[in-house]
Order: sequence, then structure tokens, then C-alpha cells
Amino acid sequence: MTRTRSMLGLAIVVLACGSARLIGGAPPARQAPPAPNPAVRNPHLGNPASIRAGMALYRIKCADCHGLDASGYRGPDLIAAMAAGATDERLFQTIRKGVPGTDMPAAREFDTPDDDLLMMIAYLRKIGSVAPSENPVGNVENGARVFAAQCASCHRVAGRGGRIGPDLTRIGASRSRAALTREIRTPSEWITPAFETVTVVTKDGQRVRGVKKNEDVFSIQVMDTRERIQGYMKSNLQDIIYDNTSLMPVFDRGRLSDADLNDVVGYLITLRG
Amino acid sequence: MRAFVMIVICSATLAAQSGPAQVTSQDLLDGLKDPTKWLTNGGEYNGQRHSPLTQITPENVDQLVAQWTFQTGTLGSFQTTPIVIDGVLYVTGFNNNAWAIDARSGRQIWRYRRELPDDLRLCCSAVNRGFAALGDRLFMATLDAHLIALDMRTGSVLFDVELADYRLGYSATVAPLVVKDKVIVGIAGAEYGIRGFIDAFDVQTGKRAWRFYTVAGPGDPGARSWPVGDAYLRGGGSIWVTGTYDPQLNTVFYGTGNPGPDYYSNAREGDNLYTASLVALDADTGQLRWHYQFTPHDVHDWDSTQVPVLADLTINGQPRKVVMFANRNGFFYTIDRVTGKVIVAKPFVTTTWAKEIGTDGRPVLLPGHLPDEDGEKTCPDLGGGTNFMSPSYDPVTRLFFVTARETCATFFAYDQTFKAGEQYTGGATSRPRDQKNFGALRAIDPVTATMKWEFRYPATSAAGVLTTASGLVFAGDGDGNVMAFESRTGKNLWHYQTGFQMRSTAGTTYMVDGRQYLLVPSGTALTAFALPLRRP
Repeated sequence: MTRTRSMLGLAIVVLACGSARLIGGAPPARQAPPAPNPAVRNPHLGNPASIRAGMALYRIKCADCHGLDASGYRGPDLIAAMAAGATDERLFQTIRKGVPGTDMPAAREFDTPDDDLLMMIAYLRKIGSVAPSENPVGNVENGARVFAAQCASCHRVAGRGGRIGPDLTRIGASRSRAALTREIRTPSEWITPAFETVTVVTKDGQRVRGVKKNEDVFSIQVMDTRERIQGYMKSNLQDIIYDNTSLMPVFDRGRLSDADLNDVVGYLITLRG
Repeated sequence: MRAFVMIVICSATLAAQSGPAQVTSQDLLDGLKDPTKWLTNGGEYNGQRHSPLTQITPENVDQLVAQWTFQTGTLGSFQTTPIVIDGVLYVTGFNNNAWAIDARSGRQIWRYRRELPDDLRLCCSAVNRGFAALGDRLFMATLDAHLIALDMRTGSVLFDVELADYRLGYSATVAPLVVKDKVIVGIAGAEYGIRGFIDAFDVQTGKRAWRFYTVAGPGDPGARSWPVGDAYLRGGGSIWVTGTYDPQLNTVFYGTGNPGPDYYSNAREGDNLYTASLVALDADTGQLRWHYQFTPHDVHDWDSTQVPVLADLTINGQPRKVVMFANRNGFFYTIDRVTGKVIVAKPFVTTTWAKEIGTDGRPVLLPGHLPDEDGEKTCPDLGGGTNFMSPSYDPVTRLFFVTARETCATFFAYDQTFKAGEQYTGGATSRPRDQKNFGALRAIDPVTATMKWEFRYPATSAAGVLTTASGLVFAGDGDGNVMAFESRTGKNLWHYQTGFQMRSTAGTTYMVDGRQYLLVPSGTALTAFALPLRRP
């Protein structure tokens, strides 16, 4: 069955808010001290049985978005996040509370007790500690220069740059170096949804090339290479040509040296919004 | 509190005396003969969702115009099939909200809101699939695993009975089915290690008349299909799609859900009866007449909770009483509904797990489709070749119409410790990166189980199908379009973008004041379409 947990989570939040309002009135005389974060003392770290249970829990609850190896798929790269200093307490809080405004749901306590979260973290620490070490970061200043010259006409960072490609303002928080390298060298291997290449041919023969923003049986919505967004009824089109090749050029060694690639990736890793 | 209950009961009694019963058992047997009504989830007991109405035709369907839109004002999407009685719609929604709505104007008459606990155990959202009706009563299953009866005129509660303890993972989303003096309902929660069942209650008193466990226990011949021990107590077998009824055979037919845990095979060696099956039960006693298991020892979460559609067909020159079943496992079956024997079965989507259905009725398995810790790729995915969305059968064209899903997934399985009230799936799935899923409306000849035409959608859809005697098929894609097609050819004739995909629901159709309406629940909106009024 499909899961729409985030919606239910929202409903529960609304209910909780309603109760709080009903209970309202005079503030409590003494506020209870905040509960300590259970991840401060995680009894499961390094315990093989806990790590195995944590692996199962991770694969059931997290792997769809974060990838089987936790290096990120639709969701962020957790290995990179841990390498960048994410503490167990932060991991625990993020899993428990979710990330508002994203697809990351809150893990409700009756569904996922604290102990389950701690076993998942023990598993993540295990695979995080055996992850291949990252290459040296490279020259970030040069990476920024190369990015401005070669990438910024299509990609936006902090409100500056093109829009035909994905916004990279927070890309460092959601991709590993390996994924960034792969996506620059072979951009057509996996194309982000809403950035697939398409050409629509109008009945008068005009060809409009761009990226597909949306589509259903009867219509298609496109951003063309001049960044104009426009919808077309398919009944008014002569043809629609779907292209498995990304609009992004292949940045092979002839176009981008290994050194410059390393610098660009180093720069991108610093982009965390 | 007692005084309040007395008042409710007294006023209900007075109301019942103030006019004739709105729905009789004969009305339910008559189904859609009276075109102002839509009284059961499938329109008729046979589940065909085929309306005799002919005002909207292939020639004029492109003139359909939205007449009104009702917005729930709540979170969450419709999965309901509205009931239509005497110009009033009875509609259930998200979080067990429900409404009576004027079918002419879309205006609310009353609203019911259930107080729900905040620690519900729901695998798959707080949905509901509709009311059943008899007399002046509406019957609804609730997310906290109760069955309630509401007064059709006011929405007040007439009885409220517990099916099971929601804190153990039990819940209920199915539209009940009224047969004679009983209301039949099923339980869900197979992702939480429940033991599924089908219950029948007296429509007046709310007293339970019978229970059929969809997971065989001690003393049941099916018990040998489970390991020795108590695995059957966590065996799943949810009921969350309404069954059908054959009055001549006095038999109800229900598709049963997946075994639990969903993916981990070692926890439950054996066929795991009566999960992933079609069960034929005596409507009066709940006794099992026969069963057919579509997917013995299912490990892909392929609930057989699809609609068992009943029809009388001529096969090889012989009249046959059949039940037609497009299953989540990717095969379409035509089964003799007297004996439970398969007449014909073939895939209606790409299937990689079984070569064919053997002459003994069992699938001939292909290797490499037992989920494990490393993952095995199988088609279809856990969502299946189709799912809970209602199909339709047109007895004129003799075609079965189904929303099909072309999908594959990588299935993983792991040992998982059972804890009461917590999810117990023993695995998960992921979508391979290169996997391009899509959907389609497919027309299937049930005599040969072969496809006659299809209309493809770019994305998978969970919308149901409706047919009408004028030769139309109404369906929905995965992007919010409701569409009309010519039944014989599959030619698309009309579409309207509703803004959100229909899920589970199909359009329904009925007459009010001489006009045929098409009613479409999608997202949080209910929209009624009709042909323009002719001005004098």
C-alpha cells in the first residue's frame, strides 16, 4: 500500500494544537525540564545484534529515500551528513521530528520507539565508519570560478544564475561527492524529474526545446531554453520528441579537467543553504 | 449520559415512523433499475458498476459541464463511492468525516465528524471507502475499528460497535455491504500483524451474527497451511475492499489481503490460507463454501482486495456463472463462482514471478522472486497490476475494464521481531532507478482473458472505472483527469482536469429531475457534471 504518512502526521499535529488550545489558560506553575536526548547515551553503538536490527529498520523506513547505502537517492546523503559532523543527537531529533516543508516525515513514538531510532543510528554509524574516505576537498575558490564560468548560466545558487537546470543552493547537503562527480561527468545517467529534455513541435512547425515540468495525457508543460514556461495542449501539437539525453552537456575531461572537476565538486559540497 | 442516549433512540424511532423506509432489501436487489439511486458500493450486488443510463452518449459526452463542486474543507483525499437516494448524496471522507449533500446543488445538509483517538495505527492514510444503506440507516466502518450506524436524516449515531482493538493495529476503511438483515464489514491492519476477519452484524441491533477469519486457525482445514505455533495470530488477511453478493446462491464473495509479515517468507512457511484469496461465504452463516487462493504464500504484499465482479457468460457454448477478478499479482481470472474452479487466467500486465496459472489453479512460479536482504526485482511492484480501484464490466460489449499498472520493484525481506501494535512488514521495496512505470485503461475479454484495447497514461493511476449502457467508459488517469471513452474501441471522447487524481473511487452516475449526472470525487472535492440544460 501507498503511504501518506506526512498527511496523517499533519492531522495529528492539528489535533495536538487543538488540545493545547482547549487546555490553555494559565501557564503551568513549573515547567518540566526538557527530556534528555536519548542519543546522548546510545547503548546500541557497536552492538552487532542491534546494528542488524537497525539495518532492517533503516531499510524498511528510510532506504526508499536515502538509498540502501545511505548515500542519498531522493533524500540527502546521510553518510556525507555524518562525515560533515552531524551528531547522533541531531540525527535522532531529525528522525523524530521530521523536516517541515520536505518529504521527511516525523517518526511517531508509538510507531517507532526511541529504541528503534537508536538502533538505526547504530547501523548508520557502522556503515558511515566504513564508507570510503572522501577525496581532498580541492580548491574551493577555483571551483567557484569554474562554476561561474561553466555552470551558472543554467544553475542557480542563492538567487543568482540560470533556471533551466536544478537550483544548487543546498546541493552540498543532499549529494555525496561521488554522486556530484557522476552527475557532472555523465549527466544523462539519471535526470532529475522536471528536468527531462523534450522538444514540442507546434502545428505550424515551430520547435520548442526545453525541459519537461509536468505532463498528463492531454497536456505538457515546458521551460524552454530561454527560460520561458508554457503549457501546450497535445491536440494542438504536431509532435512531442522525448530525449533521454540531458540538456546539460557532458563535462568530460576535454571540457573539464580532473583538477577543475575536483575543485567544482569541492565548491558544491560547501553549498548547504 | 443515559438520558442523552434515550433521547437519541427516541428521536430515531419517531423519525423512522414518520415516513416509509428509504431503502428496502428489494431496492438493494434491484440495484440500478431505478436510475435515481446508487445504493451499494458497486451500484449493484454484482459489482459491475455498469449503469443503464443513456442520456449521456458517445455523441454528446464532450458537452458535459461541471454543475457544482463540493469541498470537504478537511485534510485528505476521497476514496469513497457516494450513495444516492432520493436526490441526496451520502458521502464518507477522510478521518471519518461524512456528509449528506443535496444532489441538485452540492450544498451540505448535515455533517458527521467522528472523534478519533490520536494514536491510530494506519499503514495507509485515514481514508474511508463509503457507506452502506438500509431502511433509514447508513453504515460506516471507522478508522478505530468500529462499525457505526447513522440516521440518514440527521447523521446522528444509532449504534456503535467495536470490531477489534485499534491499539493492536486493527482499523477499518471498507464500505460495508448490506445483505438482507445483516451488514457485512471487514477489518484491516495486515501491516501490523493482525488476524483478519469478515463480520456480519444485525442491521437493527448491531449484534454480531457471524465472523469468518481470513487466517485459518486451529480446527480449520486451512490451519495446516500455517506453521505450527501462533504465526496465524499475526497472519494478516485484511479486508478493505467491498465484496459482492449472488442472491441466487446466497453467497458473498470477498477478496482477502496479504499475509503478515508482508515480505519475510520464513516467518510463515506454507500457503497461508485464506490470505491473498477469494472466499465464497454463505451470507446467512458466514460458512466457507469454497476458496481460491490467487497467490499461495504471497511475499510481495499483493492483497487480493480487488472487486470480485459477477456475471453470467457463455463459454464454449455453455452458460456459466462466473466471477471475474483482475488481481494485484498481475493475472486476470475468470472463475466458476459455483465451484471456485479457474476457467481461464492470463496476465494483464507484465508479470515476472509466475509463468502461468497451471491446470490445478496454482501459479507456476519462476525462480528468483523470493525477497531477501539483498533484494530481488519483480514485476509488478507492491502496488500490483491493479489494486483497490474498482473495475467495471459492460454486459453489452462483454468487456471487463480495469485500471492497469505497469510497474516493477526491488523487494527486500528481513527478519523482524513482532511487537503488538507496531508495524510488522518484514521488508520493504524500492523502485529501480531505470524503472519507467506507467498506467493504462485496459479492456479485457473475460472469456479468453485477452486484452482488446488499451489507453495508456504517462503515470500509474488508482482511479476506478464506470460504464454506461450508452456505450461509454469513464475512467481517471494518475494526474487528475476524468475521461470518457467509447466502450468498443477505447477512443477518448472527453476529459476534464479535476486537479487531483481519483484514488479508489470511480465516477458514479444517477438521474435527478430528468438529468443524468456524472459524480466525480477527487482530492477533497466532489464535482457533478451534466449536459447543458436546453433553454426554450
